[in-house]
Amino acid sequence: MNSFIKIIFLFFGLQVGVFSYGQGFQVNFQGQKQQGMGCAGTALNLDASSLFFNPGASAFANKSEVNLAGTAIFADVLYTDSATQTSYRTNNPIGTPFSAYGLYRFKKSLEPLSVGLAIYTPFGSTVQWEPGWIGRFALTRLSLKAIFFQPTFSYRISERFGIGAGFVVSNGSVNLQKDIPVQDSLGFSGHAELAGKAIGFGYNAGILYHVNHKFSMGLTYRSKVNMSVNNGNATFTVPTALATSFPNGAFSSKLPLPSVLTLGLSFTPNTKWSFVLDINRVNWKVYDTLAFDYAQNTSALSDTKSARNYESIFAFRGGASFAATKKWILRVGSGFGFTPVQSGYVTPETPDANRLYGTCGFSFVANEHFSFDTSLYATRMQRTDKNLETQLNGTFTSIAFAPGISLNYKW
Amino acid sequence: MRKLQFIGLFIFTILGLLSCEPKIKSPIPSKGELDVSKVIFIGDGQMGGYMNDGLKNEGQKNSLANIIAVQFELIGSNSANIPWINSASIGISTAGLAPLHLGYKTDCQGNVSLSPIRDASIGDVSSISQSCYNANNPFTVYGIPGLRLNQFTNPNLAGTNAFYNRMCASQTTSLLDELLAQNATFFQLYIGLEDVLDYAKSGGTHETLPSDLQFQQNYEQVVQNLTANGAKGAIATIPDVSQMPYFTTIPWNGLTLDNSNVGTLNNIYNPLGFYFQLGANPFMMVDSSANMFAVRPIQSSELLLLSLPLDSVKCNQMGVLFPIRDEFVLDAEELTFLRGKIESYNNFIRQMAQTYNLALVNTDQFVSNLADGFTYNGVSMSAKFVSGGAYSLDGIYLNPRGNAHFANAFIKAINKKYQSTIPEVNANKFDGVRFP
Repeated sequence: MNSFIKIIFLFFGLQVGVFSYGQGFQVNFQGQKQQGMGCAGTALNLDASSLFFNPGASAFANKSEVNLAGTAIFADVLYTDSATQTSYRTNNPIGTPFSAYGLYRFKKSLEPLSVGLAIYTPFGSTVQWEPGWIGRFALTRLSLKAIFFQPTFSYRISERFGIGAGFVVSNGSVNLQKDIPVQDSLGFSGHAELAGKAIGFGYNAGILYHVNHKFSMGLTYRSKVNMSVNNGNATFTVPTALATSFPNGAFSSKLPLPSVLTLGLSFTPNTKWSFVLDINRVNWKVYDTLAFDYAQNTSALSDTKSARNYESIFAFRGGASFAATKKWILRVGSGFGFTPVQSGYVTPETPDANRLYGTCGFSFVANEHFSFDTSLYATRMQRTDKNLETQLNGTFTSIAFAPGISLNYKW
Repeated sequence: MRKLQFIGLFIFTILGLLSCEPKIKSPIPSKGELDVSKVIFIGDGQMGGYMNDGLKNEGQKNSLANIIAVQFELIGSNSANIPWINSASIGISTAGLAPLHLGYKTDCQGNVSLSPIRDASIGDVSSISQSCYNANNPFTVYGIPGLRLNQFTNPNLAGTNAFYNRMCASQTTSLLDELLAQNATFFQLYIGLEDVLDYAKSGGTHETLPSDLQFQQNYEQVVQNLTANGAKGAIATIPDVSQMPYFTTIPWNGLTLDNSNVGTLNNIYNPLGFYFQLGANPFMMVDSSANMFAVRPIQSSELLLLSLPLDSVKCNQMGVLFPIRDEFVLDAEELTFLRGKIESYNNFIRQMAQTYNLALVNTDQFVSNLADGFTYNGVSMSAKFVSGGAYSLDGIYLNPRGNAHFANAFIKAINKKYQSTIPEVNANKFDGVRFP
């Protein structure tokens, strides 16, 4: 019941922690209807969330619309160290990716044009390891947050063909903490906290093509967004004798959020059934290094460059929806994503693995204005690796599920 | 409305199912071919928790023996029975001094810096003056500071080694006899370090090293006797001690000169064929065979010892006008001799492991890995003095974290030899060097 209360609490958007929920630290929770169908839906105009999934699809909206959604991610990671056979857990806060979409459909002479604003969280991660865990000198906590603001124009060129594009401003923050292996006179280890705000820019463009009244195709490209931390704050807690070796001060860093190219297909054989398939190409290759450049270096504190060497990956997502009645629509779906993290590079910040997941959901259409969607996502994954940099050698097992809801209003 | 209830129930069932965390599935540690009904540990101070040039309760807790013993408990062994020193005692060194800690020291030039300093002006003699032997509860850890291989059969060891005197059953029986009386089923023996250390720490001026034959006879006698009852065991090679921070911390070319110094020294030493330059220069050392003044610059391959009086170097021209005495230097010839002997002892130890079918711990490999440096669960370990994180402040004996890594080397060797699956320890859980 406690979990239930948390869900309610979170639904009012009081917290924006986000656990990694796609591959790498991608989060694929931007629309409840899509989440019900394995997070696919690029080739359909399902609701205002198409501003994210395919701005070209938004050109086919018949009405103006507002869509508010939130998902609560409950994720637990267990790490079992191979040499000591000891196990450690994460105490992750509940991740709360959210989205808010507003789409305005012009009338009369401007009829083929729609404008919209999309606010969503496509990347993020909060990992908090239990105190004293074996990898504490590699990482104790990482929190990455990125909120994208995307003003968008969509234009319906013909009854079959729509295009759209939006400019993306990403506002984010990073907070990375780990223990430092220097002990004070009482035996307590040092601690480092790197915190900063980041900003980045990009775009999202897409087209939707209705091949016929049953088949549609969508193609979207969400660009890379380079999140730059220019004036971060590094705080070190170390023994007095070492204070000058670990000076508190500024740091800078960069985190590239990769581009995503998606081909979507949909098949709607009749008014009750609809099938969707999305194929993503995520250009994770851009994340090759995590570097921290400290304003003041000392013999103990040099700039760090950690190899990440991510690989670009494909992900496949598919699902179906079934309109049981005019008011009730049921959905089910699944997906598989390859991990961008190569062997030797698995870290406690992103204990990623190839991921198979299942989803389901339903919608309730109250009337011509209001509707309500909900979805549930579940996955389990496991990865055994020896990290080349930290030599952490063990198995990460992750279980996660993510229920979400959204409210729609059309006029 | 029924539909809504159904869907609600469906969702909360799934929520309930998935809120369970990933389950821990670790295999139960197995003892393989080991018989752990009586496990004993034999060695010098390294085995018994001697560190920071002293033995005290804290060090004993984090001794090589105790760290391994705690892991052995996972396969059904009893906990180690250690001749504990009172936890309130500051402890004592083999020379009667108090152990070291890291503190602030003012040098002859008035500069304050971090340095190992003694906990007190003198060690706590009372901590080892009373016998702690208990016939009903025999000790299982014989980590005797200063213990050498050639002392195992000496019936008078108790008279010369206070650390042994307080734990032995009888002052007139040899250590080997006491060990045999234990009738151990498994023994872990790390011996030989002290046999080479005295020579090395005296800059090659004290005595010489045991002959190969002497070493071999003594070693085989111990191993033969310990295995006579069918006991299994682990034995360990001797590290190249010259890779330890006691010998690697003070740089050979630590003589930094400015313009006027260079001129003065060149005036003095040019006639001997020695030339000085601005910046880093080698220290001058005593070498009777060098020339009629018995002085020459130290070579890059030669090692200055941590015993070198740095204040004399900084303020009294030691290493410059007054060459560094032999006792503070391991010169090239001494190093070749020392390393050659260690290698020859190790060849025999390796052979003993084969002959008596024992697990072999490659201590030499472990110490040289430390010298090269490695990363362990996010922590960089090296043989650097203080900052390397493995050696205690005496520059010879490992600190608790170093011991934990060494213990893992034992556990790995034992698991490999006896098909056991004793878990290693998380070495990062143990103390490194504490800073003020």
